Amino acid sequence: MRPLEGVRIADLSWLMAGAGGLKLMSALGAEVIRIEYQGRMDWLRFHAQTPIPYRQPDRAPLNPQSPNRSGYFNAINAGKYGISLNVKHPEGRKLFLRLVAISDIVVESFTAETMDKLGLGYEVLKSVKPDIIYYQQPGWGKKGPYVKYASYGPIAQGVSGLTEQSGLPEPHPPAGWGFSYMDWSGAYYCAIGMLLALNYKQATGKGQYIDGSQIEPAIYMTGTAILDYLANGRHWQRTGNRSPYRPAAPHGAYRCAGPGADRWIAIAVTNEDEWRALVREMGNPGWASEVKFATMAARIANHDELDRLMEAWTREQDGYAIQERLQKAGVPAGVCQRAQDRLELDPQLKHLNWMITLPHSEVGPWPHRDIAWHFANLQSDQGGPTRRSAPCYGEDNDYVYGELLKLTKAEQERLRQAGVI
Amino acid sequence: MAGFLSHVKVLELGDEKGEFCGKLFAGAGADVIKVEPPGGSSTRSIGPFYHDEPHPERSLYFWHFNFGKRGVTLDINAAEGRELLRGLLAQTTVVIDSLPLDTMENLGFDWEALQKLNPGLVYVRITPFGRSGPWRDYKANDLIHMALGGEMMHCGYDPRPDLTYDTPPISPQMWHSYHIAGNQAFIAALGALFARGKTGCGDYIDLPIHQAISCCTEHDVECFLFTGRPYLRLTGRHARPEPDAPTQYKTKDGRYHCIIANPFAGGFEAIVELLTRKGFADDLGSDKYKDPESRRNREFHHHFYAQVGKCVAASNLEETWHEAQDLGIPWVPVRKPEENLDDPQWRTRQTFGEVEHPELGRSFTYPRSPMLSEECPWRTGPRAPLIGEHNEAVFGGILGKGAAELKRLRECGVI
Repeated sequence: MRPLEGVRIADLSWLMAGAGGLKLMSALGAEVIRIEYQGRMDWLRFHAQTPIPYRQPDRAPLNPQSPNRSGYFNAINAGKYGISLNVKHPEGRKLFLRLVAISDIVVESFTAETMDKLGLGYEVLKSVKPDIIYYQQPGWGKKGPYVKYASYGPIAQGVSGLTEQSGLPEPHPPAGWGFSYMDWSGAYYCAIGMLLALNYKQATGKGQYIDGSQIEPAIYMTGTAILDYLANGRHWQRTGNRSPYRPAAPHGAYRCAGPGADRWIAIAVTNEDEWRALVREMGNPGWASEVKFATMAARIANHDELDRLMEAWTREQDGYAIQERLQKAGVPAGVCQRAQDRLELDPQLKHLNWMITLPHSEVGPWPHRDIAWHFANLQSDQGGPTRRSAPCYGEDNDYVYGELLKLTKAEQERLRQAGVI
Repeated sequence: MAGFLSHVKVLELGDEKGEFCGKLFAGAGADVIKVEPPGGSSTRSIGPFYHDEPHPERSLYFWHFNFGKRGVTLDINAAEGRELLRGLLAQTTVVIDSLPLDTMENLGFDWEALQKLNPGLVYVRITPFGRSGPWRDYKANDLIHMALGGEMMHCGYDPRPDLTYDTPPISPQMWHSYHIAGNQAFIAALGALFARGKTGCGDYIDLPIHQAISCCTEHDVECFLFTGRPYLRLTGRHARPEPDAPTQYKTKDGRYHCIIANPFAGGFEAIVELLTRKGFADDLGSDKYKDPESRRNREFHHHFYAQVGKCVAASNLEETWHEAQDLGIPWVPVRKPEENLDDPQWRTRQTFGEVEHPELGRSFTYPRSPMLSEECPWRTGPRAPLIGEHNEAVFGGILGKGAAELKRLRECGVI
């Protein structure tokens, strides 16, 4: 059994921060019906990793104009159903409400006031489905003076403090995250909000409206630094790869031999046993017995010099060889892995079956990252109830309009010609 | 008004790997009992500390991550301690276990035994690399997880012109490994709880932190699978196969603004409008750039982003960005966490809230809610538990141990 079997979601979310959450809901077994319309299809359908499949050079080339070939879109939307529906059209709005009436959740990630403008605010949704759960996730939230402000992952990270917290100390600028961490985290909180509301409804029978935002979950993760400011008056200062609050040295990324002269290994020594083991594995170099490295406090005080000496040891060696050797000796160490490394060299991810192959109606079978949780009994994987990759545009119109909403073929055809579906 | 999960009881065993997951349960209204060894959890030694005095009751890390939980002390390795643990396991809805591998199995609490003890139990097992496999026994911390999981190779500073690096990949630190794992563990647990509500059956959830992080990177895996191209680390913006335009600009007061400025899309006119108001538009508003095609070249980009940079360089951290946002431009100050405390948006939404610390005679402002629900407000208190604060309430109230018995257990070091 899938945990969310029988839960239906009318999904107007797009891009990543919203749509990623729905991918997790479909992995848990919810019937996610993704609603799009051709005038404004998801931007990701045409961008983000769409070129020629690298692994399968023999495969026929993909049609570059097709909205169904984006690797990233297909990854984020696996397991969902997809329909075309113009909710701005009066008839489209009515059809949407018919779908709401047989759904448990409505979710969207438009700007905050879009649904009200479409005449689809919470009160309207409730009038067709009294116990509906409506989860909204505009960037800054709906309540508050910044209701019209825009947000994307880097914007959420920038204003919340996460960007400023990451990077080498001054005078280096913040390094940020290198990707939209708050798109993924936004996706987590989108799923969390819906799941909390589902559990609450199961216990009480009540639906509800949740005003989510992409930025608040980021703020939620900065509490320690905020308390440090309030308790100690300390403003945040970046520490690079050095341990910010728990004494540890050496603690950093060290260059080693490898691809493109850009291979690094992270090493973290958090106590004296680990330090002694590291020194032994380095072959007991003379410098390691000097007083300036004898204690944790001394190593932290001389961390710059320690880093140079460490790197002199790591830089001619293979990163994975160091990793294996240090881990055997009980020292936390790990290569800074790239995508190719995780796909081709990481035996643990392979052991965990982190990639699965799902069929896509246009692209064919294609590898997807599976979800990271493993249930003992319940069934959950990225194929969701559709058992396939992302839906092609309008792929499930027959199922939704025919089977669920009982429209005849003739009615569907009329709606198609009227620009409704 | 009640929390989302006020009907749910959670037992939290372990350390920082599971504390964020427990914090989410507590925040959403569940009764979370954190089990610490006598003397307190190892995470009480993580700084920073109140008034910079290291003390197990003064860890600000611990305060934040254990907000809203109850706390008991228990030596689970002692025979009597194990029996008390059995009692707690029998009456809880959820367990979050981030103890070292095999700990619970060695105490006789393997999944088979637990199912007999409590058939509806939802058991969340958070481990560094999984319960089996070649890296099962690898040691890790936040830094090592961010390295192996792929995050670090996204994050850092622009390469030199020959695309080689003189700076290392950067870990964002701040326990995000455990945030990432905790969020995903919470999602899986909420799914299992929902299923339990229908069937009465619980389940065992295995959540390897390494896999959770490997799944949390944005599209490096898809890019590699489709194009075979690795990513470059680029200062303050998305890693990608080729360097692109900057998104981070230095302000007059030496801070930064983050701006998503797209010279092609509709946003172009808005930015030109702002730059014109501020006197930095140069010729960007002229007819020669009316056609979007005229903006598709390197020279124009250089010119455009240089003008945006000049505008930021004339602004302080909190200047200009509201005006930009009013024009629809995604533009923010790169703030330090504490700089959000007074923002009217978060005040209106009560994102932060006061939490009393009675023994210190004062309150502190915590970020308390990641989303707004009128029906189910996020928890407003209490502060993280003191060591063994709820021993009597839990061992007495829930397990029925009398005062004399509790005294004896305390004296022989079981609680």
